[in-house]
Amino acid sequence: MKKLILILLCCVVFIISCRKVEVEPTPPPKVEDIFSVKEASIGNGEQFKFTLKSEGVYTLTLFDSVGQQVVTRERIIGKIGENSLKLYTKSLPVRYLYLSLEDKNSVQIGKTLLIIN
Amino acid sequence: MRNLLIFLFLLITNLGFGQSVSAPDSKSFLPSTVAQDASGFSLSGFGSTETLLASISLVNPPTGTTFYLNTTTGLTAASGFTLIGNKTRLVVTGTMASINTALTSLKVNTGATIGNVQLSVAATVNPVGFFYNGVNGHFYKPITATVDRTTYTNARARSLLTTFKGQTGYLVTITSTSEEEFIRVNVPATNVWFAATDEVIDGRWVIDAGPEKGTVMKTQNGQLNGNIPGVYNNWCGGEPNGANGSENYAVAKWNGAACWNDLSNNWNNPYVIEYGTWANPDDATFTEFYTNSVTHTNGDVLTARFNIDFGSNVDETKFSVKANTFVNNLWGTTTNTSRALSGLGKVDITSDLDTTKISDGKRATISAGQVEYSYVNISNGTTTLYIDLRVFDSTQPSDVKLVSILDVYSGPVTYQQTSTYWAHYIVPSTLTKVTNGTSIYVANIRNSGYDNWAFSCQIGFSNNGIFKQHGIDLSYTNQTDLNTLYNSIVSVSDVYLAFKELSNGGIFGNQSGLEFTSGIQYMNADVDGNGIFNETDTYKLLQHLIGVQPINEYSTLTYLMKLYGKSEYDAITKSNWNAQFNYTRSLYPFTLNTGVLNNSYNVSVTWRGDVNLSHSAQQTPPVIAGSSIKNMSVKTMSTTVSNQIYAFIMTEIIGDSVTAYIKIDPLQQELVGTQFKLNYDNSLLKFSSVSYKTKGSPTNYGTDKGDYINFGSLITDGGTLDNTTEYKISFKPQTKLNNVLGLISISFTDAVNKNGNTLKVKMK
Repeated sequence: MKKLILILLCCVVFIISCRKVEVEPTPPPKVEDIFSVKEASIGNGEQFKFTLKSEGVYTLTLFDSVGQQVVTRERIIGKIGENSLKLYTKSLPVRYLYLSLEDKNSVQIGKTLLIIN
Repeated sequence: MRNLLIFLFLLITNLGFGQSVSAPDSKSFLPSTVAQDASGFSLSGFGSTETLLASISLVNPPTGTTFYLNTTTGLTAASGFTLIGNKTRLVVTGTMASINTALTSLKVNTGATIGNVQLSVAATVNPVGFFYNGVNGHFYKPITATVDRTTYTNARARSLLTTFKGQTGYLVTITSTSEEEFIRVNVPATNVWFAATDEVIDGRWVIDAGPEKGTVMKTQNGQLNGNIPGVYNNWCGGEPNGANGSENYAVAKWNGAACWNDLSNNWNNPYVIEYGTWANPDDATFTEFYTNSVTHTNGDVLTARFNIDFGSNVDETKFSVKANTFVNNLWGTTTNTSRALSGLGKVDITSDLDTTKISDGKRATISAGQVEYSYVNISNGTTTLYIDLRVFDSTQPSDVKLVSILDVYSGPVTYQQTSTYWAHYIVPSTLTKVTNGTSIYVANIRNSGYDNWAFSCQIGFSNNGIFKQHGIDLSYTNQTDLNTLYNSIVSVSDVYLAFKELSNGGIFGNQSGLEFTSGIQYMNADVDGNGIFNETDTYKLLQHLIGVQPINEYSTLTYLMKLYGKSEYDAITKSNWNAQFNYTRSLYPFTLNTGVLNNSYNVSVTWRGDVNLSHSAQQTPPVIAGSSIKNMSVKTMSTTVSNQIYAFIMTEIIGDSVTAYIKIDPLQQELVGTQFKLNYDNSLLKFSSVSYKTKGSPTNYGTDKGDYINFGSLITDGGTLDNTTEYKISFKPQTKLNNVLGLISISFTDAVNKNGNTLKVKMK
């Protein structure tokens, strides 16, 4: 009986340890290029894409659509062609934000209104 | 251009502008008394030549309560109503002027039953082709033209495609004798389809449209067979008979008779479309249909309704209140009934009030009689009431606390003295009906000269009972949310200015401090609630700001929050701020025994710890609503450009660290304090550190609040923060991150200059 219990215990441990880890897939972007539309709705953890003609340092800025206050800015290394970023919305203070892309000379390349879901 | 103006003028004249119905203030009627003044309703904004439809109604009145109009010139009673006589509801048509004249003559008759007397008036431009039923508050549109007559199923479908005053139509239902009569009188046709059918089960008739759709009317064919008790049926003799197996649809006014028949769907008949789904006319939600009401009382009806202003950034639905009673200086048993506040800050605790009266002296009732036992002297701005000592018997004049004088006055009096023949009382109002002749007892009032008005009267005394004093307990359903809210209130500007106030002498003694200028901030400055504003309070504010000692950790809700009526709030000054209220009291008392029984309170809420200088101070005159928490909201998104500094944010992911840099540019400002709230996604980041690049010796602070970092600097030694000021906030990712945006963001900023002025921080 003791052996039986031991075997069962081992089986349980084995089954648990072999359970596949659930990885939440990244939702596919809703639009091909976020800057090709005037506005886009986006949820927490969703990806967005944009296209660059040259590689280099770029900045992405989120700013309030009403007061024009910058809430966050991220420096990225862009590559030629399609680039993708994942947006996290949990810490963002408002629902309507402009997303702006600027190159290293602070020239705006794209801008769109994000509606946070 | 001129033609355009004329056109616009005519358009406005014809359309009307800003239509409304205004209602009078509430009042108490005397029980069992006829012809009491109920005027004060008024229509406005309608075109002067338009024919209006107006409804006057008593909503669930106490037994015996009715109203009537003394003047009805120019009015026409709507179908089913007459202008003359006592009513509980009356619908009329007329011009705005004629309706307003009639409303000034509105009188109420009361019975012996005590209770609320709610009067409601509704008005709209009388629509052509529609009929208003004042009993249920619905509009009806008869479709009788030959070309429009159709089958039952078509009539049912077409009705649903129509709208009127915001309501979707439906084939008329007939659910009462009065509605049947209304249809009979107003629809100039016979064999009128209405919404009743047995098309699903032969003989089982159901209401086929509207709010009662699906209600079974009867279960068998035949005039009375299977009729459901309580459901209106009005079939002609031998009907319904289900003839041909296809007579499944009902008509009213069958061949002109006041009864129903069943017909097949191949008849092309007139029909009526009904608009409105409510049973009570006072619940009507028609557009361009203007209503207002007032709740008077018949006798002593105790009600307490609160309109509590929490401001726009507080969710009122998270609050609840309980009623308590206060007797002999002791708070008594609570009702233990929590009443949730609506999202508008409204709560009605009437049903929780203790309506048991306690003894409080005598009431003198002065009613019409033959002998001048009483008179008033209205000279010298003080109204003195004299009552003949011979009428008192065993009653002591000093025991009289309340008096009722004809229809002239009813309320409390203050005993003054007894002279040779008279007991003297101060009546706290000017008794206008004595002199202006509007008293219905005017024949009993005689001007005896020298501002003395004598009453021919008789006087009786009765024991006077008063309602107990009440209070409310305010509760919050979620202390965590409250703490979060509170944490967002105190800012660096408050702390700096509290230091400044203290250095200027504080708000006691020969204070020269100028920071606490008006209103409630005096009390709020006393953060620890001990009745003194001193260095302890400023220290605790600083502790709170830097996160060492959150104030709410040693505070209760009551301690954090205060309710004030407007008059109390306005009375707070520098000299009396700490004596105004018992700051440790856990209840907020309100008065119910001042003669006003139908109580409605407008209350403002303020928050201890907000020293109210940087973002909520209101200069004289203090404005209660503006000084409440509404103005304490986060101001990050303001577009004001004066008194501004710049701040720049940049975030980077380098290696296994996520870092935010915030740089300051004070522009021309003598910057002495900064504060930032940096949100972070705590499911992905773990806070590591804040580092500062500042000149001089400011107090730099940075604390992790779980999902945001509160950081900044404060200089109190005369120095300033310059454009080398920089903050670096580091986080460690919980998982590998790249190509991400939005993990960190600024949600609140605050800054203050040497003069104590709050500065806008423009995030660039």
